Amino acid sequence: MKGFKVLNAGLFSTLQDQGRDGYKHLGITQSGAMDEYAYLWSQKLLSNQNTNAIEVMVGLKLQVEVATSISVCGADLSFQINGLSKAIWQTHFVEVGDVLSFPKRVTGQRAYLSVQNGFKLEKAYDSYATTLKEDLGVKLQKNDNLIYEATQKKVTKRVPNKYVPNYNEPLILRVLPSYQNHYFSKEEQQKFFNSDYEITLQSDRMGAKLKGESIRPNKGGIISEGIAFGSIQVPADGQPVLLLKERQTIGGYPKIGTVLAIDCFRFSQLAVGDKVRFEKINLESARKKTLDFYSIFKRDL
Amino acid sequence: MTFNIVSVNSLIIYFEQEISETILDKVQKTYLALKELKSIIDLTPSYCSILVHFDILKHNHESMEKEIKAYLNKKAILPQNTKAKLITIPTDYEKNLDLKRVAEHNKLTIDEVINLHTENTYRVYAIGFMLGFAYLGTVHEKINTPRLATPRKKIPKGSVALADNQTAIYPQNSAGGWNIIGHTEFTDFHTLSIGDKVQFERI
Repeated sequence: MKGFKVLNAGLFSTLQDQGRDGYKHLGITQSGAMDEYAYLWSQKLLSNQNTNAIEVMVGLKLQVEVATSISVCGADLSFQINGLSKAIWQTHFVEVGDVLSFPKRVTGQRAYLSVQNGFKLEKAYDSYATTLKEDLGVKLQKNDNLIYEATQKKVTKRVPNKYVPNYNEPLILRVLPSYQNHYFSKEEQQKFFNSDYEITLQSDRMGAKLKGESIRPNKGGIISEGIAFGSIQVPADGQPVLLLKERQTIGGYPKIGTVLAIDCFRFSQLAVGDKVRFEKINLESARKKTLDFYSIFKRDL
Repeated sequence: MTFNIVSVNSLIIYFEQEISETILDKVQKTYLALKELKSIIDLTPSYCSILVHFDILKHNHESMEKEIKAYLNKKAILPQNTKAKLITIPTDYEKNLDLKRVAEHNKLTIDEVINLHTENTYRVYAIGFMLGFAYLGTVHEKINTPRLATPRKKIPKGSVALADNQTAIYPQNSAGGWNIIGHTEFTDFHTLSIGDKVQFERI
């Protein structure tokens, strides 16, 4: 059984899918691709239906042991085949002996590498998503073998230019104001929506600690309750935390709002030190933007 | 019961915002009923709320709320089996790190602490923090003990723990600040559900 052999694991590459649903009552986090937009494109290019993909971070190097069609979407990590630069947001046919590498970060953080029909792995709790702290899924290690079925089918597809994002554009995160807004005075809310926030080192797949104008909730804690994707918690130090795919399932800090999921996907391509701003959005527009987002992936290429 | 919008595809059901067995019974009953509702993707029950994650392609907040209410009304007239199961946790109190601390804090002997800990039947008020970590309440006020000032870097899995008026079992090795008062070989953490009853048994 063959597929890719990991020559170099790089920074932190994991197997992911669209996430693990249906087990929050056991405290199992959602997990899954941090940037669903890039992940879903990598799947769509190969006509995979949410199989799985490698969430690639810089430094990954793989050797191809079985021919297949691949797709790479997301961050520009200087993708190369046999040392030659190759375009991303498109498919490539790779043959036995080819070496795929992601040596240098140019823009974005995470690229998604899918293979035709996905990697052959066991699901855990109905998903391939990797969560290290739960010991679920696969974090790539040197000499690992990632198995997939051989195919001679040469897929040649690319994402139309208008759908390729520019990760250098400033990001404004759209926020649905929270049902817990009463924990924040008008002044505190104004501060929040009128300030720049910087992404700090305390950021990972679980969430991002931001640094900027302090927001003081008028209550330090609430009774622990379920936390949605994109929730913005404000602990006592007044520095907001944006909760992402591997967030804890329940928590007891007041929340000032929820960032649109589709903006969290884009956020996950930012680096420590990058700045973001927040702006309010109403439910109706938020819903429409989300439906528009997913309808892209229902259309034929 | 109130419904609050959380995100484009989630809402949170609030019960009276207090920690009590009466409210927990309502959360448990509602959770067990909604578990069967196919249009819900995920449910996160906790002390006095249930976060509902739904499919945005099938529902908006209004239609989801309506369906939940109609379903609960329909279920309310049927007899329900919501009797909480009782799970017994065989516990070795010799394998502890903090029984002495807990005893001293409460001016009790170690045996008295163990007796008070095994005497109560606890309920699962929430599950979170990590896979299968159940917050069990309510601990007898005589052994109510604050967390350690400095959390430990590693607590072994199976540790029976105590913090303030709650007790718990660490399902995995983890960092944590709870008082470790015993150890159990119990591993069926996926069988625990909100509202279940748990009792510790000294071995």
